[in-house]
Amino acid sequence: MKRKTLLCLSLVAMMMTGCADQMFVEDVSLSLILGLDLDQDDHLLVYMSSPVFNKEAKVKEEKVEVKAVSIRDSRELFDQTVMALTSGSKTQLLLVGKKLLKRKNWIDYIDPFYRDPKNTVTTRVVAVDGPVSDVIFFRPKDKPRLPLYLANLVDTAYRRNVTIKTTLQEFHEQTTEKGITASITEMKKDHKIMLTGTALLDEQSKYKLSITPNENKLLRILQHKTKGDFPFTISVPMESNGHDHWISFSTPSIKTKTRVRYDNHFIFNTDVKMRVIITERLFPFNVRRDAAKLQKSIEKKMQADFERLIKKTQTTGIDPFGFGIYARAYTYPEWKKVQNQWGKAFSKADVNVKVHVTIGGMGTIK
Amino acid sequence: MKKYAYNEITLMQYIFLINGTQVGTGVLSLPRILAEKAGSDGWIAIIIGWLSSVAASIFLVKTGAKYPEDTLYEILIRFFGKILGKALISVYIVYFAFYAWTILVNACLYIKAWFLPKTPDYIILLLFSIPTFFVARNGLRVLGRYSELSFYMVIWIPLFFLIPLKDGNWLHFLPLLKEGWRPVLSAVPTTVFSFLGFEVAFFLYPFLQKKQHAVLGITIANTLTMLFYLFVTVVCFAYFSPDGIIEFNQPVLNLLKLIEFRFLERFDMVLLAVYLIVVSTAWIPCVFFAAFCSSQLLGKQDHSNYVIILLLIIIGVVFWLDPTWIDSEGWQKKVVKGGLLLAFVAPPFLWVYSWIYEKFRRRVSH
Repeated sequence: MKRKTLLCLSLVAMMMTGCADQMFVEDVSLSLILGLDLDQDDHLLVYMSSPVFNKEAKVKEEKVEVKAVSIRDSRELFDQTVMALTSGSKTQLLLVGKKLLKRKNWIDYIDPFYRDPKNTVTTRVVAVDGPVSDVIFFRPKDKPRLPLYLANLVDTAYRRNVTIKTTLQEFHEQTTEKGITASITEMKKDHKIMLTGTALLDEQSKYKLSITPNENKLLRILQHKTKGDFPFTISVPMESNGHDHWISFSTPSIKTKTRVRYDNHFIFNTDVKMRVIITERLFPFNVRRDAAKLQKSIEKKMQADFERLIKKTQTTGIDPFGFGIYARAYTYPEWKKVQNQWGKAFSKADVNVKVHVTIGGMGTIK
Repeated sequence: MKKYAYNEITLMQYIFLINGTQVGTGVLSLPRILAEKAGSDGWIAIIIGWLSSVAASIFLVKTGAKYPEDTLYEILIRFFGKILGKALISVYIVYFAFYAWTILVNACLYIKAWFLPKTPDYIILLLFSIPTFFVARNGLRVLGRYSELSFYMVIWIPLFFLIPLKDGNWLHFLPLLKEGWRPVLSAVPTTVFSFLGFEVAFFLYPFLQKKQHAVLGITIANTLTMLFYLFVTVVCFAYFSPDGIIEFNQPVLNLLKLIEFRFLERFDMVLLAVYLIVVSTAWIPCVFFAAFCSSQLLGKQDHSNYVIILLLIIIGVVFWLDPTWIDSEGWQKKVVKGGLLLAFVAPPFLWVYSWIYEKFRRRVSH
């Protein structure tokens, strides 16, 4: 008897909480995309795109722009207009306008993502070249609703290393870690949305530099993140007739190794070992006979590309590769002195990249 | 004559009871506290903390082994006489009650922040106390079974920590002992406290079936706890950069937040709900021993009334105080201070005292 009453009591207690605190999906406006930008007078603009769960609505997506002082403040303003209560728990993308990216301390605005346990941190951070409103109010006919389209675009492009994919959590890592500067997906809307590569930020998380999809692959290799596909199409220097010699290859295996030593300045020696399989060749060549020659010329070209990318970042004083992490691990006493101005120290460093190419296959024809 | 014959516990139950009492909510913030004090070398402090807790545990068991039929209550009365002994056991009662209180409040705050933001604290605690009552009103054997069963039920949890590990960077650990031993040693007190809970073994000894394995059992329990702490801390340190980890209050939950499957997001919520079972094996023994000692103190056979009284007091105080995170941290600090005396200082002291006491008594009886 006693047991039964207790059981009933506990059942009632459990049911009661359900009565008081419930949420229908129609009553939630999930902000699947959140956009941050600045207007002409440098006021913060917050954009949101959320799905509408209603049969009568013709367009199943709400898009709103408000002028707010912070993300959390914008939520109140969204609630004034959108159908239901705004929730940030499912945000897929965070679009940040380049204008805002160039502002000091813009990163303070994304604090609620980390602070509120209800918010997710697997949101993809994307830089938008141009106004965010162009992207967010874009309604392509041949695509699903924008959040799904953009999320899928970033994910699949990342698999081929066209761009980088940085979640808010990784972004937090990159901005707090002193040995690396942040890099995020970059997007542009002309007449359609394009991923233009990767935006590189400096130690204060201000925008510094954009790199192309091809350079992004090199960036990933130098970051030692060699998962996914790395297809290359390059023009190799050959002594004969002066035409472009285009060759494409896939790389089933890339191994990167970085060593560091200190001799008045930091010296990084990075070895990149690539195994390539030729997937396309637009010039006559006997691979079976002259494999070594082809390997040499690919190596030469890749090495030059690596060096150009590194020079570019060094002149702007950023280290998106994370060489600083190596400096800390292996030359700690010297690192400690420069850890707060790592960008400056890195720009003085010697970075030597050595590429070793092995042609693993030429495909099914000669 | 065996006083506790009907309530004997097996070696496994003994191990999991101690292990369960040790592992509570502390581990969720442990990596951050270690990183604050000792950077990426903080994990070494766990091993040092483990050594000291094993040492204290062995003293504890050796003291108990001299009087295999006695719990701490009888031992204290034997050593210090009725009045002082009873006063001392009251200290343990207050300690266990307060310990249970801090764990319950802390667990309630987590549940409130992550799942039930609008449910009042006392309702959550009421829900906690129903299963607590069902387990704690019985004898030690039921408690032991509960702890053992819970352990098997949650043993899969560590597997999920391996998922973020693939994005970890082992370079974060290098160089070992960045700043020498001093910061590591400064983190040792924290880790020592995270092993608190083994003091329940004071009361378990007379119940244990195979007393010859008591030392082995308590060492295994401590080692299991150490391995779990070490594993979680190492995964957190590998994933988060040494600069980034200190910004998160509970880095373990932030780590789990990253785990996403196609069909499941926000794994931290799932895990936190399941982790409640682990936390319950920490507060239930505390509630039990507070009630058990009170019944011994007042000379009653049945302790279940005291369980009800204690739980009602806890619910009442929560209703009245409405504790905050900062309160909760303050109380934990107080528990830790008490634990230092009652779990780490008392066992060696009692062991030395028993040695002198035996010598003295023998001389008198001659």
